[in-house]
Amino acid sequence: MNRETLLGKSRARIDAPAKVTGEAIYTADLKLPRMLYAKVLRSPHPHARILSIDVSKATSLKGVEAVITGRDAYGEKWGVFPYTQDHALIAIEKVRYIGEEVAAVAAETEEIAQEAIQLIDVRYEPLPAVFTIEEAMSEGAPKIHDQYERNLNIHVSINVGDVDKAFKEADVIVEDEVTSDGETYAMMEPYAVVAQYTTDGYLDVWVPNAGPHVRSKALSNLLKIPLNKVRIRHITIGGAFGGRSEVNPNDFVTCLLSIKARRPVKLVLSREETFIATRQVHDMKVWMKTGAKKDGTIIAKDYRAYYNGGAYSSTGPIATSIPFYVYEETYRLPNVRYNGYRVITNKCARGMFGHHGRAFQMGNTIQMDRIAEKLGLDPMDIRLKNALHSGDKTATGSVITSCGLSESIKTAASMSGWKEKRGKLPMYRGIGMGSLAIMCGFPMGFRSGSSAFIRMNESGQITVFTAIVDNGQGNENMAVTIAAETLGVPIGDVNLVNADTEMTEHDPGAYSQTATFVSGNAVMRAALDVKRQVLEIASSKLQVSIKDLDIQNGVVFATYDPSKNIKVANIAKIAMGMGNNIVGKGAYFPKISPDREWIKNPFGQMAGTYSFNTVVAEVEVDPETGVVKIVNVWEAQDCGNPINPKTIEGQIEGCVSRAGVGALQEELRWDKGLVLNANFLDYKMPLSIQQPSVTKKLITTNDPEGPFGAKEGALTCSMNVYKAVVSAVYDATGIWIREYPITPERILKALKRKKERGKQNHL
Amino acid sequence: MIVLNVNGREYTLDVPENKTLLEVLRADLELTGVKEGCDRGECGACTVLVDGKPFRSCMLLAVEAQGKEITTIEGLAKNGQLHPLQRSFIENQAVQCGFCTPGMVLTASAFLAENPQPSREDAARAISGNICRCTGYTKIIDAIMQASQRQQGVET
Ligand code: FES
Ligand code: FES
Repeated sequence: MNRETLLGKSRARIDAPAKVTGEAIYTADLKLPRMLYAKVLRSPHPHARILSIDVSKATSLKGVEAVITGRDAYGEKWGVFPYTQDHALIAIEKVRYIGEEVAAVAAETEEIAQEAIQLIDVRYEPLPAVFTIEEAMSEGAPKIHDQYERNLNIHVSINVGDVDKAFKEADVIVEDEVTSDGETYAMMEPYAVVAQYTTDGYLDVWVPNAGPHVRSKALSNLLKIPLNKVRIRHITIGGAFGGRSEVNPNDFVTCLLSIKARRPVKLVLSREETFIATRQVHDMKVWMKTGAKKDGTIIAKDYRAYYNGGAYSSTGPIATSIPFYVYEETYRLPNVRYNGYRVITNKCARGMFGHHGRAFQMGNTIQMDRIAEKLGLDPMDIRLKNALHSGDKTATGSVITSCGLSESIKTAASMSGWKEKRGKLPMYRGIGMGSLAIMCGFPMGFRSGSSAFIRMNESGQITVFTAIVDNGQGNENMAVTIAAETLGVPIGDVNLVNADTEMTEHDPGAYSQTATFVSGNAVMRAALDVKRQVLEIASSKLQVSIKDLDIQNGVVFATYDPSKNIKVANIAKIAMGMGNNIVGKGAYFPKISPDREWIKNPFGQMAGTYSFNTVVAEVEVDPETGVVKIVNVWEAQDCGNPINPKTIEGQIEGCVSRAGVGALQEELRWDKGLVLNANFLDYKMPLSIQQPSVTKKLITTNDPEGPFGAKEGALTCSMNVYKAVVSAVYDATGIWIREYPITPERILKALKRKKERGKQNHL
Repeated sequence: MIVLNVNGREYTLDVPENKTLLEVLRADLELTGVKEGCDRGECGACTVLVDGKPFRSCMLLAVEAQGKEITTIEGLAKNGQLHPLQRSFIENQAVQCGFCTPGMVLTASAFLAENPQPSREDAARAISGNICRCTGYTKIIDAIMQASQRQQGVET
């Protein structure tokens, strides 16, 4: 008898009932006894020296329990890496962007806190500021940090093969300059923090985060509290998209207030504050050149990519690298030179977003398509020609294991009718393609791995303990499904304790597509350990050898004769009676090069596996208004063996909205250091009526390392959909847009230019 | 003193005149299923039903809501039975982070009450004032269509 599987079935998610009834508790919903309410005083200047701060009036206001400034911090600076520690998380001496934290108040009510903020008197000496990449790098530009000459924060340099020689051998060469405006993550939950410091020295923190252990470690360092006394607690989280990855100044400020007041403190940011003072996304400028042979083989690539990083390093070394890596994980690049520069400016610090470098990826698409056109090749065929395959190595030396790239290209093409459509649709209608890979995880030292454990109660039901965090993508459901499937108990018999640093072991966190592949793997191994213990006892009770036993629905049975069986619950009791309760433990560490480093040594195995995706998009361009409409999207995703297909579909549809529709309209607009559209009226969020229909196909590759063969489930779509859109706009209009987003103004301007040039394609 | 009728119960509350319904529901009545996404009428997360019609509770003063029947997400399930939309949101995985969900479900419930047999386009238009950053809306529309069919007695 074979047992039934939970995998590959679109089961409802375990977190959904609480969310549809309003029972789910998010950080801003928390109310603790004696809780105070916080407000933050933010810098009105993009760059200024702080001459003095007078908090006396605020402190003496009735109902105010704590006021803090940079003087209350401990002199530590935050940085993801030892060499990027440049962010005090509350201004000391200088402010470097509008919205930076200068002081904060905790009071009995929000109104009192607000009033107190206005009573704080700060004297500034404004300093010259820089906002664009060009300004920041220009001769004589004001220095924002002493340690960054010409405001150059990070330089990633990768040089493989002989690029100059290869260009000499190329039959065709294209060169482009591409820019993209920065976006915001715009998760629907405004940023919020609750911190509770108690006299015994413990600090409990509830905060939307993408990795509780990295958050507690950062706070422990910055607040000089031992790690065991900083506890990040589980809470429902309203979206992340890359914007909740690292410790945030607002966490730090709330913790300082609670430490000072010895009472719980809640800080809830307004939507505007969430826009201007949490994290933003890099705007970019990229120069790139590609050389190919007549048959379409790409033999040379040269890049100079500039990232406007804002005032602090944030995840800088990683953010300055990932756009390149997702490309090198897709195509063979025998000779490639990548110079990525992250530049400090007087804007809010920028982090990584799932779109991973709009200018960079769109530029690659433009060049691939331009080369195909010059050589008379189908853009699909040139992709297939250069695609990596299972067993290939990337330019920087990562071996690709399971790989459904070529299949995803062919599948998306055939679903969309590519061959009949590309270059053949009526004017102002076009179709385009984007393909990319992504790594499931990247080296983070010992944090690259995850470990989990599982206990069993006397009814044979289990509780999984894992740090896996769910930002909305369904990670909690994934963990429970993997445990239930591995052990053979119903989903309802699996409890979950997660994303709590006190009760769970280490884990990288929910970024870089690790959750299923790495964290899910640890859960599976813990469940296998439980299963082994259950089967050992069952084997001696039933007198059946272990290899002939399996578990289904909480019952252990002999596969050749299911009438020989025993309930898991009975085994749990037997184990307890032997003084040897069933507790399973499992850990997983991906096969990566431990000495790989983003700047010093960008070579070796990046991740345990990679996933692949292709998107084809069809658009309609209105030549009168310049409006681009995405009519249809087809996508083919290699996510290994899908655990819950509907969950992956939902991720794909979300990517199409954020990255596809978003590519037509999302941008932060600025007047020097001031965000002009820090609200949902002026920042154009993709809406329901803009969502195109998305035809999806999951390509099953069964990854040899992934839990049940699973790997990352859709982030690649995020990058491919905007690549496909820019290519489709070209197919529709004969224009390559090189500035993003693709707004109606830009389309109209380009159409006008084209008309002036007299129908000549700009190739 | 104001009197509010929320989820079928009367509450007499001492709240300042300038408080929005959103603040009162969340802070005074602890109905935290009502979400605050922008506090400016732009996202729909704070949607509640006022006499059966969807309203943005951040744009309404609590005093103005007196004498009306207010329904929040906490009041939608009846006798322990989830509303058909709550069920279909669960089954269709129309929920990811869930922050937009209460507003979406309530908006959709008012819409279905008026348009029991909508087209997908109608459903998309009905929720076009509610922002969801996660789902791309497709599964939300699936859920609305399924609930509509169920109400028509077509089991799917
Ligand atoms: S919170 Fe009311 S519409 Fe956004
Ligand atoms: S589910 Fe996250 S905003 Fe809609």
